Amino acid sequence: MDIGNILIIGVLLGCFYASVGLGFSLIWGIMNIVNLAQGALLILGAYVAYFAYSLLGLDPFLAILVSMVTMFFVGWLIQYIAINRVIRAPFLVTFMLTFGLDLLITNLMQQFWTADIRSITTSYSNAHIDLGFGAIPLVRAAVALIAVLLTAALSVFLTRTRIGNAILAVGMDREAARLMGISVARIYALTFGLGAALAGAAGAMLAMTLAFQPSNTGTYTLFAFVVVALGGLGTPWAALAGGMLFGLVEALVGARPETVGLQSAAAFAILVLVLIVRPSGLLGKAFYS
Amino acid sequence: MLPDGPNGPSASLLELSEVTKRFGGLPAVHNFGFSVREGEVVGIIGPNGAGKSTLISLIGGAISPTAGTVSYQGRDISRLSPHARSYLGIARTFQIAQPFVGLDVRENVLVGALFGRRNLSRNEAMRVADEVLERVGLARKARLKGDQLTVADRKQLEMARALATNPKLLLLDEVMAGLTYNEVDQAVELIRDINRSGVTVLVVEHIMRAIRGVSDRVVVMHHGRKIAEDTPDEVLSDPRVIEAYLGERYSKQRQATQGNQRQGSAETIENEWKEGLA
Amino acid sequence: MDSTEPTGTKAVRPTKARAPAPVARGKHSWLWSLAVGMLILGVIGAIPFQNDIAGLILWTNVVMFCCLAQSWNLIGGFVGYAAFGNVVFFGIGAYTVAVALQHDVPYAIGLLLGVVISAAFAFLLGLPVLRLKGHYFAIATLGVAVAIGEVVEAEGIGGPGGEASLPAPTFGGLDTNTVFFFAFVTLSALLLLGTTWLTRTRFGYALVAIRENEQAAEALGIATFWYKVAAFTISAIPTALAGGLYAYWQQFFNPSGEGGAFDPSRSIAMVLMTFLGGAGTILGPLIGGIIVEYLDNYTLINFSTIHGPLLGAIVVLVTIFLPQGLIRLVQELTRAPVALEGPEAAKVSYIHRIGEGVRRVFRFIASQGV
Repeated sequence: MDIGNILIIGVLLGCFYASVGLGFSLIWGIMNIVNLAQGALLILGAYVAYFAYSLLGLDPFLAILVSMVTMFFVGWLIQYIAINRVIRAPFLVTFMLTFGLDLLITNLMQQFWTADIRSITTSYSNAHIDLGFGAIPLVRAAVALIAVLLTAALSVFLTRTRIGNAILAVGMDREAARLMGISVARIYALTFGLGAALAGAAGAMLAMTLAFQPSNTGTYTLFAFVVVALGGLGTPWAALAGGMLFGLVEALVGARPETVGLQSAAAFAILVLVLIVRPSGLLGKAFYS
Repeated sequence: MLPDGPNGPSASLLELSEVTKRFGGLPAVHNFGFSVREGEVVGIIGPNGAGKSTLISLIGGAISPTAGTVSYQGRDISRLSPHARSYLGIARTFQIAQPFVGLDVRENVLVGALFGRRNLSRNEAMRVADEVLERVGLARKARLKGDQLTVADRKQLEMARALATNPKLLLLDEVMAGLTYNEVDQAVELIRDINRSGVTVLVVEHIMRAIRGVSDRVVVMHHGRKIAEDTPDEVLSDPRVIEAYLGERYSKQRQATQGNQRQGSAETIENEWKEGLA
Repeated sequence: MDSTEPTGTKAVRPTKARAPAPVARGKHSWLWSLAVGMLILGVIGAIPFQNDIAGLILWTNVVMFCCLAQSWNLIGGFVGYAAFGNVVFFGIGAYTVAVALQHDVPYAIGLLLGVVISAAFAFLLGLPVLRLKGHYFAIATLGVAVAIGEVVEAEGIGGPGGEASLPAPTFGGLDTNTVFFFAFVTLSALLLLGTTWLTRTRFGYALVAIRENEQAAEALGIATFWYKVAAFTISAIPTALAGGLYAYWQQFFNPSGEGGAFDPSRSIAMVLMTFLGGAGTILGPLIGGIIVEYLDNYTLINFSTIHGPLLGAIVVLVTIFLPQGLIRLVQELTRAPVALEGPEAAKVSYIHRIGEGVRRVFRFIASQGV
């Protein structure tokens, strides 16, 4: 495998990973909650997209939208019913709560939809774009593009719209925002909903590029964490940076026969190193952590 | 009274030399220098944001100076960790009280007695804790948990905990905020008592009556710099100090109506400040 | 911060005129905890398992998890640093024993080596990682556990793909399952004693002070970093021991995957059990371990279809309504109020005490929302 190929794979993978970490980063940055159920929400989103495609015949790219909308409401509900009750509790409590939610959702999915591996395959699933020095799978390229667009959209939303600004304000100083008339409970519900929606998008994209099953939830939560820890909090672009780094590492490690299988180990090694050397991540702004 | 210390009469216990601390671009403390002799009580005043708490943290060890040195008993302790400084006899309170919420008051003070400068057994430390609680006036509340105390209680707990470490240098960061008039008098008496037993004290305060009541000297900070250092009366009538607290216009007004007469009794200053702030 | 004041609750409700009655800490609660704990272990140890091998195995698992939770309690409960990767010490202990036995090294030596290596690893790992806080510390440790598990698998330690198989244990004719059962019970009892003793020592106070307020602890003369490293290292020792026992008991095991020696869910189970029982208490991990592991097995056998979701639902409910853990709940419910006007506790009826306690608990729960 030459370096060109590895780079391509790394970049494409990296963009996807960024989308995995985006919602996680939002929830963490604004609500200071490490959402261990993010992977579960992602896989749930994957199922939504899968069923939208297989039962309703929707185009997979449209299914991304459907997944986002559905997962937004799921997230909103979860925040109102459960998360909101423990916002002020010490971090271990919210940690365990989201873990419990993850367990619950994962097992319910397993219950209803079995452990069968699913994926979305279409007529164009194997199409490639020839770039001279290598060929990129079309779907992956599209997915990478969408991931970048999502990152940009989130960034614009947060910084240039009133509601986005309100979200940022609550993230910076909850009490001050409340004193200015912002309904913190609503903002939190909105934020969690958005985080879930982004997870849904990532899940839908997962369904299109790879395969998934309920037992994958933990993996993607862990990936989200790595992305955020690598890139830092504070801006959606940090998730992109973290995702890229993660993607490139995975591509490099996966390319050599002697290190195949050590991808996660390598990622974690880098993660621990980054955390020690630069605890706020590559692009992170310290006050969010 | 300045009793003779082990380094000879009125030796310098603490010395800050050209200390600067920057957070990002802004210097919270700028080119600050002063020395404290053993046995003194030095008051530190200044408007909000002057850098007083940063100064305490620099001396206590929670942060290190960006430039300059902090010396204690002749050694440079600028990079020494807080717990090591505690062994040397430096103790501090926190402006926002930090009690050990899960422990009761007695155990809070016990922790101070167990660590700090002593190597006591648990029982000995318990006895010390009880003594300190008596002295500070928290004995009745010894069994309350940290999160059941009033704000004033917490400040007293801060003091008690620091005292339990048997310090040579005690740094008090606004321990009187929230106290009633009588409680302030009691606190002043307590600080005097602590000083009489041989402890050098640095008191950061806003209550001028208290500062005048305990301090041998007063240092004034403004925007991170030292703008005055003198006896309490001199400092409190210094126009630069008044200007720092109330602004330039007020100071000029005052000079215009009173000429250059210095009418500075501390009560008058305090009343005028209160009027200005009302 | 002030967990007893209901700030920021939904509407501005006029608060009741009565302030919560202040409460005292039990004077000899440690003795009670120790006694009750020993009693529980005694009862478990006395269960007649004559022909009930399934029951024996079940309870061995239960007590093993109690040991894990009790060990984790040291770093997670007392110091308050939620390490999510302590399973790595379990795995190291297990695999050291595996490699030792495969090379004809006596079991006892293997166990000892496992402990030594784990402790050394904990110390070295702790040096960089204990400078992190909260979430970062949790995930860093988890990452290490997963990474080491993968390394063992990739390098084929103990067997191809990390699949370890050990020769059958022989203990002079004694039933091996029973031997291991009592080994774990003994370990748990030792941990109980150790934890109780800890709460009475200077070291114990240092750990609690660090948990409650690390900055203040540092200012009072506690070398916080080294105490953290010490607690972390010590927590690795019984964990590794449990791993070593597990290895010889099971004879066959994998590094990762479900039930693997480095399985992260084993780590999370430790945390959950301690948390449910009461982190930082003496009895908490023991009670938590028994409840969770027994419940897990019970639902697996009897309600296998809803086993997974049920567990999840339980975790959710516990974190929302019982965040302090069971033992602390009991403590809150039975605590005597302290009269401010004198050192003796006011003579108050038990019913009143419990009523007050319930009010306190509800207030606490209500105050956690936005």
